Amino acid sequence: MRYTDTHLLDKLAASYVLGTLAGGARRRFERLQRDRGDVRDIVARWEERLAGLAGPVPAQQPSAGLWRAIEARTRPAPSMAPQPASESWLRPAGFGLGGLVVGAIAASALFLALPGLFISSDQLAMRSGEKLPQSYVGVLTDAQGNGRLLVSSLRHGRTLTLKVLGPAPIAPLAEEQRLVLWALPAQGPAFAIGTVPATGTAVSLLPDTSEKLLLQVNRLVVTRETGPIPAAPGADVVLSGSCAKLW
Amino acid sequence: MNRNILNLQQLIAQAARGDHAAFAEVYERTHEHLFGIALRMLGQRQAAEDVLQEAYVSVWKNAAGYRPQVDGQEIQPITWLIAIVRNKALDALRARTRRKEQAWPEAGGHEGEPAQNASVHDAAPSAVQLFEQALQALHIAGCMAALDGGFRQSLALAYYQGLSHTEVAAQMKAPLGTVKAWIRRGLDKLRDCLAAQGVAP
Repeated sequence: MRYTDTHLLDKLAASYVLGTLAGGARRRFERLQRDRGDVRDIVARWEERLAGLAGPVPAQQPSAGLWRAIEARTRPAPSMAPQPASESWLRPAGFGLGGLVVGAIAASALFLALPGLFISSDQLAMRSGEKLPQSYVGVLTDAQGNGRLLVSSLRHGRTLTLKVLGPAPIAPLAEEQRLVLWALPAQGPAFAIGTVPATGTAVSLLPDTSEKLLLQVNRLVVTRETGPIPAAPGADVVLSGSCAKLW
Repeated sequence: MNRNILNLQQLIAQAARGDHAAFAEVYERTHEHLFGIALRMLGQRQAAEDVLQEAYVSVWKNAAGYRPQVDGQEIQPITWLIAIVRNKALDALRARTRRKEQAWPEAGGHEGEPAQNASVHDAAPSAVQLFEQALQALHIAGCMAALDGGFRQSLALAYYQGLSHTEVAAQMKAPLGTVKAWIRRGLDKLRDCLAAQGVAP
């Protein structure tokens, strides 16, 4: 197609803005806009023309939850923004193998540097041998890839330590809402393993040893649930990450 | 800074600099209008809220992309916001069509509304009524009257309900080629009528 013909570009822009340019042609035209300022200008003029048509559409009130959802995805976390270089390893802790490796290394480093983050002072005293404990750890990140939650449990322990990174709450919560940590086994249904605090650190008891519960688990997610913890995770996933085994 | 005295353009500029309170004010001033547009196109409150959520997140991330002027022509901030919402709504509609989840009802007072959500718009004006009201408000009703009803109805269905050429043709029980020509010539006429009023000449 010849994109040098201004008449053709104008026609395509009009169809694009109206919405009748569809399918592959619409995607190609979007790519063309990204590459060419003159095409963006033609589109902007058509948008200005057609915007007047929206005037009489009756305004409608969405649910109050809409702004909360937008806010949760846009409000900058004050503590995460000016991160010192020493914490920049958290940023690439996304999903998949990269997140798993980074999470394992990060948690190992924290284990060595600040074991008090993970275990109580009593446990710390019992482990004064300074040997890296065998355990399961996870680093969960938000939609922007910021590390927000460290999860750890000794291999044969029955407690799970959850530490929220940074002072900002993980997500805004309405009354009756809670953050639930779920384990996603490679096979089989997800199961809830604890309630996550909005900030700070929490320790929760596991129904069995982490070895039995987490051996087949390679993913962890945190969902926002309303009311009691449901049988399966809902769609409102606020954090996600890998679960790694430290041997 | 007192954000109450800032206009929409200034608030978007503040949001582009990371001022989340300014972004919240943009939402406060515009969300009901934009939700009305999305709901009119999608016919389902949840789908419209999903679209609006994506649209405002995009506004926050790309606030610096708003250009108040193009070639000396002023582009209203609400124009930019409407375009973002409509594009997200169109994407959602086309994805819905691909999934074939929706059964479109026969032509009636709520053209193209999913039947199970007809209650959303029971008291709402039809696309054609909205179009005629808009032409009056833009002072181009006389100019556009040169086109017969088929032109105006096809444009109205495409704009307010996001229908594709094929869907407009099915709705109006008209041949696809005819509908394409109606929309093409309708857009040309709309541009000329608006240019005579000084809009994006």
